[in-house]
Amino acid sequence: MNSPLQSTVVAERRHSAPGESTAATNVLVVGVGGQGVIMISKVIALLCQQHRLQVKQSEVHGMAKRGGVVFSHVRFGEQVYSPTIPAGEADVVLALEWAEGLRWLKYLNPETGTFIVDTQQIVPPFACRNRKPGGLPGYDQLTVDQIRTRLPGILALDASGAATELGNPKAANTVLLGALSTALEFPAEGWQELIAGAVPARTVEINRQAFNMGREWALHPPTEAPRLDKSPPPASVQTLERSVHLEITDAWCKGCDICVKTCPERCLVLNAHQVVEITDPGACTGCRMCEWLCPDFAIRLHSSIPEPE
Amino acid sequence: MQGTEHSDFDIRDYLRTDLFPHFMCPGCGHGIALRALLWALHELDISMNNLALVSGIGCSGRTAAYVDTNTMHVTHGRPLAFATGLKLARPDLEVVVITGDGDCLAIGGNHLIHACRRNLDMTCVMLNNEVYGMTGGQVSPTTSNDRFTTTTPLGNHEPVFDACELATAAGASLVGREITLQTPSLKDLFKTALSHRGFSFVEVISDCTEIYGRKNDLGNSTEMILKQKSGIRPESYGNAVEHPFRPGDWKTGILTRVERPEYGDSYRQHIATKQRAVKTVTK
Repeated sequence: MNSPLQSTVVAERRHSAPGESTAATNVLVVGVGGQGVIMISKVIALLCQQHRLQVKQSEVHGMAKRGGVVFSHVRFGEQVYSPTIPAGEADVVLALEWAEGLRWLKYLNPETGTFIVDTQQIVPPFACRNRKPGGLPGYDQLTVDQIRTRLPGILALDASGAATELGNPKAANTVLLGALSTALEFPAEGWQELIAGAVPARTVEINRQAFNMGREWALHPPTEAPRLDKSPPPASVQTLERSVHLEITDAWCKGCDICVKTCPERCLVLNAHQVVEITDPGACTGCRMCEWLCPDFAIRLHSSIPEPE
Repeated sequence: MQGTEHSDFDIRDYLRTDLFPHFMCPGCGHGIALRALLWALHELDISMNNLALVSGIGCSGRTAAYVDTNTMHVTHGRPLAFATGLKLARPDLEVVVITGDGDCLAIGGNHLIHACRRNLDMTCVMLNNEVYGMTGGQVSPTTSNDRFTTTTPLGNHEPVFDACELATAAGASLVGREITLQTPSLKDLFKTALSHRGFSFVEVISDCTEIYGRKNDLGNSTEMILKQKSGIRPESYGNAVEHPFRPGDWKTGILTRVERPEYGDSYRQHIATKQRAVKTVTK
């Protein structure tokens, strides 16, 4: 039976649960709904069961339809008590999305942990809350190189790009599984067998290639700017210098409240005379919603740059 | 980028600003519809000297009076009849009729079907707020079922008129419908209608907050305007899903577009032929 790669280090861990003879190996799989987080953890769990190890797994799922956060804790060893991994004790954090990986990085064991991450970026809608032209999105701006200074052993690969080249972007999780297989010392054949059973029959071949590609890359990381080690592109947008100014004709406003209620930035109010007023001119993005929907033509928006057609 | 984007459109350039603020109630959607119409005219670069706005009686009829152009404010239900005469006498003018649901469908229903039948090159804008607002809130042909008005104290029990179906059946060559909430789409629909050669009929789903909304507990003007969006079924969605909406939803977008001979042209041609024939006979 193969023992886990870092079992010696794991045994020295101070926070192991009382009564645990051999401390568990912790794998945290994170990503965005629909990427195959559950499939990865299922394969790991089945593999451990084949090797007669005890496995506990707990997950948050069901976010696939919403592109929401999905994570899965997998703990295995001779004896496992708790199904969840405490912060700072994950031996492997496997992230299927760049910012999700960074978000869960605090779970990684800072000394011995392995961080395997796909560099693809899926920018969630809430990262675009700043609707002003030139506003910075709320997406994490850290690059692979910045993380590498903290975690020299980071395995950052463009798994999605590689899987797309193989012909199916959905196989990105298998590419990462291939990389993960080098961190957990189970034989490669066992992985292959289980993956073939977990994926649809028509994608078995593509998943086999994806697994081999990921494994090959992790075992022999290319030295110079390889295709799989791509820094995520900066998520910032071009900054536009634009000033907007709302001109309100007080005498025409009848206080119908339409602009106040429909303003996406909520920067309009009705004052004591039931006339609309702008509370925060800096918040106005110049979307023209108030101008369009004012039935009394009391609002005119002046913008320093013309609208794009 | 075109030279006529929205940022250089100031609606006040097109209004008789000395008459403002206008008479309409707070939150009345007619103002939004008027903005979209003027915006479309601005983008099409139609001069106010070449435009004739004809309107009937009612809240919708009053909107034309606020535009600084050639306007005719005529009898109840007859703007289409007056506009037909105007367009035949002055084919160089861009004739736009602004009318309401009661004005166009009840009192002027006869004029509507014959205007559609003739297919004269003009645009009819029907502002549908489901009620006779100005005359005190009586039931109109488009009042939804079970709604209270001053003449239906127990709720309206008459079937609802679909104006676009009527116009299509009567022969209008371009028929469309849009809500006021989607002002840019409404503007685009107006642009299509104004550029179309033939009779174009545009129904605008507007709101009457004070007379109709209050009596039926439909909320304030914002709520009424936002609710419009849940009651429509845009044509552009196609038939991807078989029954995506409730059966009573209004179809929006361009509903009919056919090429038919324009009446003004064919009429003048016909007259010329006949006059030539008469001349040859008398010679």
